[in-house]
Amino acid sequence: MTELTRARIRDLMGQVLANQGKVLPDDDDADLREIGFRSLDFSELALRVEDETDEELNFDAAGLRRIATVGDVLDFLADLQRP
Amino acid sequence: MSVDTARPAAPRPAGLDNRVVVDGTALSWRDLPELRLPAPVALLAHRARYALAAARHHAVHGTELLLTTAGRADSVLRAELSEAGFTVIDTGGADLPPSRPRAGEPGRLWLLTSGTTGRPKRVGHTLASLTTVRGRQPGRTWLCPYAPGSYAWWQVVTLSLTQPGQHLVVVEPEQLDDWPTLAATHGVDAASGTPTFWRRALHRDPAALARVPLRQLTLGGEPVDQTILDRLREVYPTTRISWIYASSEVGAAIVVHDGRAGFPVEWLDRPAPGRPTLGVRDGELVVTSPYHGVGLAGPIRTGDRVQVVDGRVLITGRLDSDEINVGGSKVSASAVRDVLTAHPQVAWARVGARRAPLLGHLVVAEVVPTGTVGPPDEAALARWCADRLPEYAVPRRIRLLPEIPVKETLKSDV
Repeated sequence: MTELTRARIRDLMGQVLANQGKVLPDDDDADLREIGFRSLDFSELALRVEDETDEELNFDAAGLRRIATVGDVLDFLADLQRP
Repeated sequence: MSVDTARPAAPRPAGLDNRVVVDGTALSWRDLPELRLPAPVALLAHRARYALAAARHHAVHGTELLLTTAGRADSVLRAELSEAGFTVIDTGGADLPPSRPRAGEPGRLWLLTSGTTGRPKRVGHTLASLTTVRGRQPGRTWLCPYAPGSYAWWQVVTLSLTQPGQHLVVVEPEQLDDWPTLAATHGVDAASGTPTFWRRALHRDPAALARVPLRQLTLGGEPVDQTILDRLREVYPTTRISWIYASSEVGAAIVVHDGRAGFPVEWLDRPAPGRPTLGVRDGELVVTSPYHGVGLAGPIRTGDRVQVVDGRVLITGRLDSDEINVGGSKVSASAVRDVLTAHPQVAWARVGARRAPLLGHLVVAEVVPTGTVGPPDEAALARWCADRLPEYAVPRRIRLLPEIPVKETLKSDV
């Protein structure tokens, strides 16, 4: 399995937002609600990670409760790849 | 099977003198090889020449026949046919005798369903039930791009066999990419194909397509949307463009000539002697038809999803594959496909579901760009969809393909 770096996941997150004409802020503390990053976008980002790692990701909504910022998303997906 | 070069002794079908172009050579129905076929027989044709010869054999002798291509008949199907009493003749390989021999049923023709709902199954017909065009027609030279033995193939073949002046130009699988050249060479002025078939022709070489002097253009076998009708109208401003709804089970049930997708809502639940009655039950097209396959009677649920929009009944896709559940919100894959194909730089699109964490599924798509200008990128296509669809219906991954995929059925995704 190819493990994606946090920086690469950030690139992919930027692509998700760019497809909607939005820009991903540089600040990891940026609030997801303020930048309009929602559950559909999170699922899409997961697919993009799956496509690059060739590995299916499994998680549920409960695991996302504490995710509020860009940094939280990046940390969550980076951690998810680790066995 | 044995082949006799002698001509048939009892030529009965009225169209036997019609021209038949096969392998690029102009013949007549009479010039095709004379086959000696047992009954019942399942003929697995490798070349159109033998499929046409078998059709003529049935029209003359009426012996029980199932006709299909060798590619459709895997070893399981061959064994099933043998078990059902057929001698299985593979025109390019080994024959299989019937494991339970039986007498043939005079006049019986068998079709295999397209297999969209699982393994192919046999549907019984007769030459009469497959001959749905009976009124005298203007003389035409028809293109036949369909796989031998399919319902659409029999429609064109019975027309040519039964009516003088209805000639046939057969497209072999290896000629499919360049059929407009073949058609223009042999004066084809009528052609029937799936929307995928027409999209491919428009995509590959629209100038070559425009050189085929079509007076009749027909679409069927897949949902027919307004975009493909409009694009064909641009190439053929004065040609009669029709779409037809037909299947092995219900026969030819709907024919529409007004250049619009769908059919008028007034046609629903309107009984007429000798004509199919159309209905909608729980969003599904239901057909009661005099052209049903044998053993079928009364209203037949077609499995096709319909929607009534602005006074038209639109047939949008298969019920079992059309609905995508995105986090509890229902999306019609065909509605998304229609939005994508309406993009001026999209020649073809396929829409489906992909398993995704959190929401269960997301909408994804494959797209073939027109190639006339630089291809649209994923972001541009996503924004096009976002302007026209709910947020949950916008495809979240869009893959660009270089060429429109097509199966032997001339369909791309069913």
